[in-house]
Amino acid sequence: MTRNQEDQSPDMGRILRRETHSSRAVVATAAAVLVIVFAAYGLLEAGVHAIGQPAWLIEPQVAAERLVALPAGIPPLLLGAIGAVLAMFGLVFFLNGILPGRRARHLLAGGRNADGPAVVVDDEVVASSLARRARLAANVTPEQVMVVVSQRQVVVNVRPTSGVPVDPDAVLAAVGSELAAMALSPSPEVHVNVAQSGVIGA
Amino acid sequence: MNSTPTLLNRILIAILGLKMLAIGVLLVLLASVPAVASWWHSWSAGVWAGINQAFNATRFPGRPQSWLWVLVALALLVLIALMVAWVAQQGKGRANLLALEYDPGDVPGDVRIGGGVAEQALKHALANRPDLAGATVTTYNVKGSPALKVRLLPRQGVAPHLLADEVYALVAALEAVVGKRIPVLIHIGAGARTRFSRAERVR
Repeated sequence: MTRNQEDQSPDMGRILRRETHSSRAVVATAAAVLVIVFAAYGLLEAGVHAIGQPAWLIEPQVAAERLVALPAGIPPLLLGAIGAVLAMFGLVFFLNGILPGRRARHLLAGGRNADGPAVVVDDEVVASSLARRARLAANVTPEQVMVVVSQRQVVVNVRPTSGVPVDPDAVLAAVGSELAAMALSPSPEVHVNVAQSGVIGA
Repeated sequence: MNSTPTLLNRILIAILGLKMLAIGVLLVLLASVPAVASWWHSWSAGVWAGINQAFNATRFPGRPQSWLWVLVALALLVLIALMVAWVAQQGKGRANLLALEYDPGDVPGDVRIGGGVAEQALKHALANRPDLAGATVTTYNVKGSPALKVRLLPRQGVAPHLLADEVYALVAALEAVVGKRIPVLIHIGAGARTRFSRAERVR
């Protein structure tokens, strides 16, 4: 840390982007370990060959000749299966590399001044907070409310107590006001589903 | 918040994935399409002849081994070292210092405030709250300047914006004590500890 860097604060937008997207650290470590294992085996065979010792698993010469003659010498089903598995793992790595990898998180923006702390909330926390609010508005037990929060949508599922009607508009208003107070970014849309059948004895 | 090289991760993973995908598709085609098999024979035989010639031309004088093997071994060693360096980059970026300032007063010298000051103070202030199942505070070094990350694990049903406002007040008090604006990121998260603990009822 040098002194002239002291004054400029780090770019908060960059930090927030990094917090809401996966860093791919786990997949990267797995890929690195995979490459290390293969390179270590290759290193062993190359080293053994360089000092003129017999090969450990397979002579490189023999391996290369088998590769050249490939469709022969191995059952086609096995070859196809190996290829399919390799291609599948390759596809997983490739998609991990190019997909955005958005985490289930929202920014909490509103009401606070811009240079204050930035707040990132897991969708699960938002859901449990909204569920509590919806439960109070619908006057049901916690087990009768389920809230699913995704990037652009909040779905509130309520199962009313049998014989006690639940007003969907009241639930919608309660959840909407809670969401407005949170001021999530990107701000999700609210849907309230009240189940047709009720729960007995709740 | 840490300095994990996300772009490098993505590029390297995508390259590795593309290679594995290409080899896998080639193997499947070899097993299923005869035309690909005949092309592979002619192409790979040529490549193999070239490699063979290279190895024959590079023998140690008076010995049957080629010194190309030593080069291959060295290249693989370098590759392994690069991979280890790549793994070591993941999740780096913790810092020790919260503030480093030249003191213009009568006493010569610098003023340094360790990150432990903020971490301990905030952790202690958050320790006994009934609505939190846990809190961790870490100092990170973001592009050369220090920043704080406050990770909160609220119990189920806690309103995140109210919690954030209260922690914001704590951070403002800390900034007043340290005498310096600190960039702060508050992460309100969920984990196994919050999922299976009792819900917060009174607030």
